[in-house]
Amino acid sequence: MMSILDNAMPLAGGTDIVPTFKDLGSKPVRLIDLGLIDELNGIMEEDGKILIGPTTTHAQLLASKVIEEAAPALHDAARWIGSVQIRNRGTIGGNLCNASPAADSAPPLLVHGAEVHICSLEEGHWVPLQGFFKGPKMTVLEPNEILAGLRFPQVKGAGSSFQRIGRRKGFTLSVVNAAVYVERDGERLREVRIALGSVAPTPIRAPSVENKIRGKKMSGGLVEEAAAASVEVAKPIDDVRGTAEYRRDMVGVLVKRAMREAWRRAGGEL
Amino acid sequence: MVNFELNGADVYVEAPATMTLLDMLRVELGVKSVKKGCEQGECGACTVLLDGSPVTSCLILAPQVEGRRVCTIEGLVDNPLLKELREAFMENGAVQCGFCTPGMLLSAYALLRDNRHPSEEEVKTAIEGNICRCTGYVAIIEAILDAAERIAPD
Repeated sequence: MMSILDNAMPLAGGTDIVPTFKDLGSKPVRLIDLGLIDELNGIMEEDGKILIGPTTTHAQLLASKVIEEAAPALHDAARWIGSVQIRNRGTIGGNLCNASPAADSAPPLLVHGAEVHICSLEEGHWVPLQGFFKGPKMTVLEPNEILAGLRFPQVKGAGSSFQRIGRRKGFTLSVVNAAVYVERDGERLREVRIALGSVAPTPIRAPSVENKIRGKKMSGGLVEEAAAASVEVAKPIDDVRGTAEYRRDMVGVLVKRAMREAWRRAGGEL
Repeated sequence: MVNFELNGADVYVEAPATMTLLDMLRVELGVKSVKKGCEQGECGACTVLLDGSPVTSCLILAPQVEGRRVCTIEGLVDNPLLKELREAFMENGAVQCGFCTPGMLLSAYALLRDNRHPSEEEVKTAIEGNICRCTGYVAIIEAILDAAERIAPD
């Protein structure tokens, strides 16, 4: 069994890797179709946590009332990934393992404090999603490991939002994306988490910004402060989809939008 | 050997494991309505229904449809909803070169099957994965809304 698994590539929805097979020519590729394993698919609520199987498609996330209520930012992101056809095939696990800095699933999961279940045939362990990405197209997964699950806490009264800018309105990669998560304590931000995508080699959290505004009273001024500080955290590059300068400016815009919407979804007024 | 249901018929195909569903349909089974466009899942010309859901057949490997249902436009030839869509496409001038049309019709069909009263926004979302280089989409969107009205007069 192990020798069969040697150099084998796990296949989920295939939307990212199948087009690459053309370039491999006739070179044999060993594939393991994770889609055949029912246990890796689905959305569950268990002990105050939401569990998501890695082969759960973006269409399944979009259709899920549980996700819409427990992680609205993730639900927002599912709407903007790909097209109908891609959402019907593409999976949340594939989106993370492909490790694009622009992956739309990543910022929402980062702000919801998600952990990923990394498994080999011998053992499995849960690690925070933050440590999962190593660089563009690189993760901590060893060749004998797969991402076998995701989980994050279900918090009553929390709110989150995902915002993105693409070159078109539909079916396009994010030039910049951002997610904000808040827990309210009256008019104060009991907890706040900010994640940014497409502005660094991996999707990133912005702890320095979070620490600056955590516990403070929510206001228009605080939103401006968070946006300005987030711009400083972003280290984008120029590429075919946008310039670094544009990306930095848009980080501020998206953090403002996401923070206001997350606050509103948590039942706050502004 | 791959065994699946194609337009209601049980088929067995000898296909290499890395062959795409698109190539299996066109080359091995001669289904030429499924168009080969970008081969990256971007253009939607190769759209088929897999267990009823629109997918791009260029991103699916042949063995992945084992035991599943694949439907191409040929499978809906006698379908009343598709007939309304076809007529609305013709009357609204929603077809020029026709390359995108089979995929476009399948995406529109899946939308109207699940949602009889789509808004213009919902129509746009349903076909965001189908590129048309001739019409500029306006006639296509109008045709789909037109077909929706015909099937649901209330």
